[in-house]
Formats: sequence, C-alpha cells, structure tokens
Amino acid sequence: MKTNKIFSYFSLTLLAVSILTSCDPKDTTVEVPTISTGAYVLNQGSYKANNASMTYYNLTTSTSTQDVFTAANNRGLGDTGQDIIKYGSKLYIAVYKSSLVEVVDAKTSISLKSIPMVTGTTPSSPRSLAAANGKVYVTLYDGHVAQIDTTTYAIEKTIAIGSNPEGCAIVNNKLYVANSGGMALKSDSTISVINLSTFTEELPRIKVVINPVVLKADSYGDIYVISIGNYYNIPYTFQRINTSTKVVTAIPEVKAYNMAIDGDNAYIYYYNYDANYNIIDKTYTIYDVKNEKILKSNFIATDALANVPYSIDVNPATKDIYIGETDYTNTGKMYCFGSDGTLKFTFPTGSNPVKTIFITNK
Amino acid sequence: MLFNVLIFSLSVFSEELKTDSLHRKNLGEVIVNGQQLQISRASMPLQIISGSELDKLNASNVSDIAKYFSGVTVKDYGGIGGMKTVSLRGMGAQYTGVSYDGMIMSDIQSGQIDLGRFSLGSISGIELSNGQPNDIFQTARAFSSGGLLNLSSILPDNNENQNITGKISFITGSFGLINPNLFLGKNFGRKLYMNISTDALTANGKYKFTQYYGSKDNISEVLTRTNCDIQSIRTEMNIHYNLHDKENISLKINYFGSERGLPDGITFYNSYNTERLWDRNLLSQIHYENKVSQKFQYQLFGKYNSAYNKYNDTDPKYTNGLLNEEYIQKEYYLSSCFLLHPLEPLFLSASADWWYNDLNIVSNSTFENFAYPTRNTGLINFASKYVNDKLTLSGNLLYTLTRERVQSGMASPDRDKLSPTLSLSYKLLDDKDLRIRAFYKNIYRLPTFNDLYYQDLGNHNLRPEDANQFNVGFTYLETGIPFLSNFLVSVDGYYNRVKDKIIAVPKDLFHWTMTNKGIVDIIGVDINIKTGIHLAKSEHINILGNYSYNKSTDITPLSANYGEQIPYTPFYSGSGSISYQHKSWEAGYNILYSGLRWSGQNITANKIDAYMIHSVFVTGIYKQYSLKAELINLLNTQYEVVKFYPMPGLNFRITLSMKI
Repeated sequence: MKTNKIFSYFSLTLLAVSILTSCDPKDTTVEVPTISTGAYVLNQGSYKANNASMTYYNLTTSTSTQDVFTAANNRGLGDTGQDIIKYGSKLYIAVYKSSLVEVVDAKTSISLKSIPMVTGTTPSSPRSLAAANGKVYVTLYDGHVAQIDTTTYAIEKTIAIGSNPEGCAIVNNKLYVANSGGMALKSDSTISVINLSTFTEELPRIKVVINPVVLKADSYGDIYVISIGNYYNIPYTFQRINTSTKVVTAIPEVKAYNMAIDGDNAYIYYYNYDANYNIIDKTYTIYDVKNEKILKSNFIATDALANVPYSIDVNPATKDIYIGETDYTNTGKMYCFGSDGTLKFTFPTGSNPVKTIFITNK
Repeated sequence: MLFNVLIFSLSVFSEELKTDSLHRKNLGEVIVNGQQLQISRASMPLQIISGSELDKLNASNVSDIAKYFSGVTVKDYGGIGGMKTVSLRGMGAQYTGVSYDGMIMSDIQSGQIDLGRFSLGSISGIELSNGQPNDIFQTARAFSSGGLLNLSSILPDNNENQNITGKISFITGSFGLINPNLFLGKNFGRKLYMNISTDALTANGKYKFTQYYGSKDNISEVLTRTNCDIQSIRTEMNIHYNLHDKENISLKINYFGSERGLPDGITFYNSYNTERLWDRNLLSQIHYENKVSQKFQYQLFGKYNSAYNKYNDTDPKYTNGLLNEEYIQKEYYLSSCFLLHPLEPLFLSASADWWYNDLNIVSNSTFENFAYPTRNTGLINFASKYVNDKLTLSGNLLYTLTRERVQSGMASPDRDKLSPTLSLSYKLLDDKDLRIRAFYKNIYRLPTFNDLYYQDLGNHNLRPEDANQFNVGFTYLETGIPFLSNFLVSVDGYYNRVKDKIIAVPKDLFHWTMTNKGIVDIIGVDINIKTGIHLAKSEHINILGNYSYNKSTDITPLSANYGEQIPYTPFYSGSGSISYQHKSWEAGYNILYSGLRWSGQNITANKIDAYMIHSVFVTGIYKQYSLKAELINLLNTQYEVVKFYPMPGLNFRITLSMKI
C-alpha cells in the first residue's frame, strides 16, 4: 500500500514536470514583407551568438519587420554580420564568424548564393565590402582581399595585404584597404592600395596612425580614415589621404569614432568612457569634405541617444541620417534624423545595428 | 537470467571500502549515526550523496552527481572534456567553494573549478552545504563562500587487514571513451595507511547532434561535434599516520594532466574549431589533527598547488596564425583551527588562514603588459555553536583581508571585509523529528585575476561582489513507517540579494571591461525527498527526488534588462532517482529536468528550451567482479545547457570492476 502511494507521488511529480515543460510558448514566424522604398538594417548580432539579422523598414507604410532574412530563407543569417552593400539588384553581406558572403535578392531578401570564404576548411573571415566593374571586393581578416564575380559568384582572385584588414573603398579604380592589425600584439598602421585592373597591390603602403579601421571615400579623390589607436596613449584619430599625392593629413579638431560620407558631408560620431565607464564626450559632427572644415559641431543633441551609437548612414535620396543604437547586449534601435537634426522617427532593430542601406522602388 | 549471472551490487564492495569520512570531524558534537540524521539536523541546508548512493546515479564525474542536488545549476558545455561548473541558488559559480577533504580548491585566474576533472573512482562522498558546512571545526576558508561542495576521498578503513585492498576498473562507452582506474590501499601495521589511485582517460568526444539554423521551425542539419577529444591522467596518493590514538597526520598528493580540444559553441555554416587546452595541476595537502581532550582539539592544514594551463587557437587571422596563452598559478596555504567544548551544549572555534597566490605568464601572443599579480589573503573566523536535542544555534564572524601587488599597471586596493553568519534549527515536536531552520549569511566573492588584470578587460578597481543570503525551511525525518527504511524531506525557501555583481560592460566596439554594476534579487524554493523501501530482507527500493524554483531578477538600476530573469538560470529544475536492489543486482532509473531559461536578454531568440533526460543503469556483482551498464539520455533528447553547445544524445557506458 505504502509502496503504491510513493509510486503515485513519483508519477505525479513526473506529470508536473511534463506540464511545466510544455508551457513554453511557441515561436511565432515572421511574414516576409514586400520590399519597395525602404531601408535594410544589417544587425551584427553578438560574436558567437549566431544572431546576425536583417530588419526592414518600409518608408511608405512606416513599419518595421525583424528577421526578414530568416523569414525569407527559413534559416538565420549566421554569426556576426559585418558589412552589407547593395550592388545592382543584389545585396552582398559579409558574415564574419560564419565566414561567408551572402548574396541576396534586394527585392525579396531571398538568398541567391552563400559563398563560403574559406581556405580548405579554414575560415578567412570577411569584414568589409566594396563593388565596381561587376566585381565585389571583400577584405578578409586573415590578411587578404578577394575578388568575387557578381554573375558567377566565383572567387576569382585573392591577394595578401596587411594584417586584419577592415574598411575599404574604391577611388579611381583603386581599392584602398585599412590594415588594422587588430588581432596582433602590435597593431598595423597602413593602408593598402590595390589596382583593380590587375588586382595587384601597389607598394609601398600608405602609413597612417596605428589601427586604422573605418575608411570612406569622398567624391574629390580623398580617403578619410579613422584609426582607433592603441587604447592607451594613442587616441582615435581622424585623417585624410589625398589619393593622388598619398599625403596623409591628421584632422585633430574632429573627434571621430565612425562616419558616413554623402555628397559633400561626412557625418561623424564619437564617444568615450570615463574611469568609471560612463559614456562621455558624445559628439555628432558634420565635416565638409569639399572645403575640408567642420560644418556643424553637434548636428544632433548629445543626449538624443540614451546608449551609444553603433552605425551611421545617410539616405542619399532624402539626406536623412540613420543612427543605430546599441547597448551591446540587447536588441537595438534605429533613429532617423532629418538633415536639420530633428528626430523624424525610430524603429526597433536586432542587436548591434551595424549598417543601413536604402532601396528605392523603381 | 543473464542478469543473474552478471549482476551484483557494487555497493556491497563500496560500503566496505569507503568509511564514512563525512563524519570524521564531528567529535564532541551530538553523535549522529547516519547521514539522514545529519541532514535533518542541519541548520544550513545540507545534501549528501555518498557511498553506494553514488553508484545509483548515472554519473561519470562529480558534476554529474551535482546535478542531483537541489538549488544547483551545472553549467555543462557538453561532452567529456567540456568545462563543468556549479552555481548555487542563482549566484555565480565563483560563489561555490569546492573543497577536497576539507581544503578549498582554488583557481585565482578564473575563480571557477572545473568539476569535470574529478573522477568518481576515488571519491567516497559528495556533500553540498548552502551557506557553509554545519560543522564549525573547519578552516576559516570553508566559511568564505556562498555554499560549499565538499568531495571526500576514500580514506583509511582502520581495519586489521594488512593485505593490499583495492579495485581495478575499466570504463568504456560512447565517444570513444576508454577509462581504466586503479585504486590500491594498504595498512602498514596499526598506525600507517597508504593508498594510491590513478586513472587515465581518453575519448574522441565525437557525437552527432541536430543543429537548427535559427529556431526549431527553421532548416536543420545533423552535424558531428568535433574538437572534443580529451586525454587525461590523474593520480593521487594518500598517507595517513596515527601518531597516537588522538593524533594523526595525513598527506595527499594529487596530479592531474590533460590535453583536450575545447569544443567551441556552434557557429552557423562554419564548423572550424581548433581551440585546445593543456592542464597540468599539482596539488599537495597536509593535515594534522590532535584531539587533545574532550574539551579541546585542534588541526593544522598546509597546501601547495601549482596549476599550469596553455590555451592555443590556430587561425590565420592571428599573427603567425596562432593565439597562444600559457600561465602558471601557484598557491601556498596554511590554516590552523581550534575547537573548544567548555560545557556540554556549547562549542567554540577559532581558525586563522593565510595564503598566497600568484599568476605568471609563460608565453603569449596577447599581452603587451602583463601585471604579474600576487595576492595575500588572510582570514580569521570565530564561531560558536549551541547544541542540544531540540535546538542548534550557531553563529560566526569572518574577517577577510586581501593585499595585492603587481609588476606593471595598478594593483587592486586593499580589501577588508567582515562577514557574519547566523543559523538555527529547532525541533518543533517532542515525538516527531520535525525541525524548522533558518540562516542568514553575508558573503562576498573576490574578483579573480582575470577580472582585475586581464589585458583591456580587467579592472583593478573592482570591489568584491557582495551577497546576503536568507533561508527558512523545515526538515522532517521519519524512521517509524513500516517498510520505509527512512523518510526524509526538506523544504527551504530562500532570498538572496547580490550587489556589486561583477559584470562585463562594453567599452567600445572591440573592448569590454569588468565593472561592479549589477544587482540581482533571487527568491527560490528547494525541496528534497529521500526515502528507501524494504520490500523483503534483501530487496530494497531507494528513492531520491528534488525540485527547485528560482527567480533571479536583474534589478540593476537603468538596466535595459531590469526585471528580467538572469541568464542561464531556469525557473524550474528537478531530478529524481529510483533504484531497485535485489541481492547481488541492482537497476535504476534517473531523470534530470531543467526548465526554460535564457542565454541573455529575455527574448525568443535567446530562449533555451526545457529538457528532460532519462537514464537507466543495471549493475551485477559476481564474486569479486562487478559490471555496471548505463544508458544515458534514453529518448535521445537534443538539448543544450549552454546556448550553442549541443549536448550528447543517447549514449552508453559500461564499467567493469574487480575487487582486489
């Protein structure tokens, strides 16, 4: 009798446990939105969290949709979405830890091809993208840059450059790449110049302040580079390279962390931390790349974002400025400011919104 | 029929070999004849799995046993070589002290003890105390953690037998596991006892798992877990010498060496995985005990520990394609403990500990300026305990000081802390062993050298994390029910508040740093049931069950995660074990359950599904031979304890032992 009772208690416990298990709510699937005039946000996700994603914001209906890549392809984008560009009708996405370049139809978000960036099974870790002449160029963190054909998706050529290359941009059929050396004990401090006709590097490399990461081109033959220094005595440095003379000019009056260049304006943000790891010195600067001077010191209010900015991009059609916000651990938020600095709207994003690109309905 | 030939109870042998070392320091306290009584009288919750109970669970190492304690979260990165750490009641793993025969193990670098490295071959019992052990005759360091997991090794049986006794066993199973074990003990006369044990382990660690590329609605693929091979060797020698009846000295030397692949978390679409870890750990401890009189006794401890570890990752993104970090840490430790028993119900104890830690870097490709930190830690503890049949009342005050030095950069400021603890247990009824108990304990967790000095990440200004623990519960022990050998139940409710929680916050895109920013509010309930049923003279059923509820809320002001459950803390968890023993054979069923939890922000993408793992075993003994066969994860459940670290599906293990 006693035995039976004990057994029934035991099975009751099991039952209770089973009920608890089945309580978990079911995941809801997202509808794939119709892509027209809008913005795609690449959310980097967290390193080793397999949560890179894409948010789509429809500018006509003012609605945002999360995880559009997953919805369209029934699988996640992968680990650490590093860069996204639109070239022709396709999007190219560099997924760093998953070590692939994802080619996506810009209208449908459907993956056309996943190009593994590997040497054998060893990942070469793609970072930044640029495109010209029917080719996409991708910097690889293992110290290379690769050329991908946009019709065959074949990796046509890979050449060795400096260590841990980051940002890249094309000026006059030459690809400029920031060699950060971010993984090395002593950071790199050079810019590689690659002739795209031959896809060979032109030596010597251009020397800049150590740890160059962000690299953008203006329309006047100049390259702007942000070096992030050594975290001790060499601070973030904003500098300009004249691509014809290869002369490097430091611009100490501009504090820069990240930037976007659109037309004659470079939109730049900066922040730092004090000894107690509170955010300080948050600034938003517009730099006139034509006249090479500061145009506006704080084009939006310092406290416009509660957390820190993670990306800055400009809609070339409307000149609206999109600033992605992060706290590095949670999902993020996108702020859209008019060119006069007024906040137009915000929408939620995935974690670490790293870049926004714009689609027009043609 | 087949079983009748093969099967026999391993426990018969174990009972002979394993003396009840758990009680060896209970001199003068109320004599307890059985762990059930010890558990029911504990004013601070105590759970014990010892002797033959260890054989009734499906476990290959100490962390597998810890999964059967309530209030415990074992962080298991999967596989045989994966890291396994234990956290208690929503507090970080660094709050869990791990002691080996009364001496606390340490890792000054990470603060976490990998329980995967302890084999069960030389362990006689495992006990878990919330707060601290109930016995006040301990090192001051035993009072200095949020809870204590004590491992007791097999100690002298003090018998007259002068022959070599021991056991040789061979374990094999899934994942290419080959694990021979040897244990030999011998009495040399009446005064000297010695034992040696050694075990070697090799496994490729490979297993198949299903990877979903997103949620369970998305595309999945069956993959094989790679880079989880392990080769390890562990050897230990114990010498116990009785100087007099009341005076003894014991020495332990333990060496552990291993090389293993570190199975990294799964990365979608990229299975490249080359992280490797080498460990060489030498532990030597000496213990002297003198029971001078009924009113006074003392004991002295000394320890030297040297731990070398080397971490390698190969990837062309590193300079020369290699990331290499090699460290050696050392600890020198001394402790003296005194126990006074001036009046019948009263015990007073004082203990003083001092130890020195250093951390050196052997070679690296990471550090520009390594700090070469050293820390001196001093502890003094005064404790008192009042015990009679109805009431146990105890309290202690722990003083901690730390003094650090570095060769480059800034050293952490001197820290001085006072940590009080109070506990009581009261028997409510005269004729029933129903007791109410309560404790309060304030404790800290010191920042580790990684927290303080790791390049860029470290923050030398970190304060110790602070935790207040409150517990109210009751225990009920019933020995008078016919058929039931014992019926023991305990229910405890607790509230913990962790302040100045050491968490990593981002400094910029590339760099994170450690800060004292978090506050966590934890409430929970732990329930334990232990009982046995005598069906016939040689027929027993043993039942063990526990259930835990834990709500650990992040209440850090201004945090975006305010009000959320902290990561890797299930609301509900539980385990159960039922075994049937008949003469020389035994069979059992074990279940582990962990409820829903999150890997970070409480959003769908970070959700980790609940799981329930069913396992069975059968053991038979024939003459001096025994065979145990286990099937683990019967339903081949695909689950994760840590996000993107898939756990093994159905697997098996066979243990063949021979008593010497």
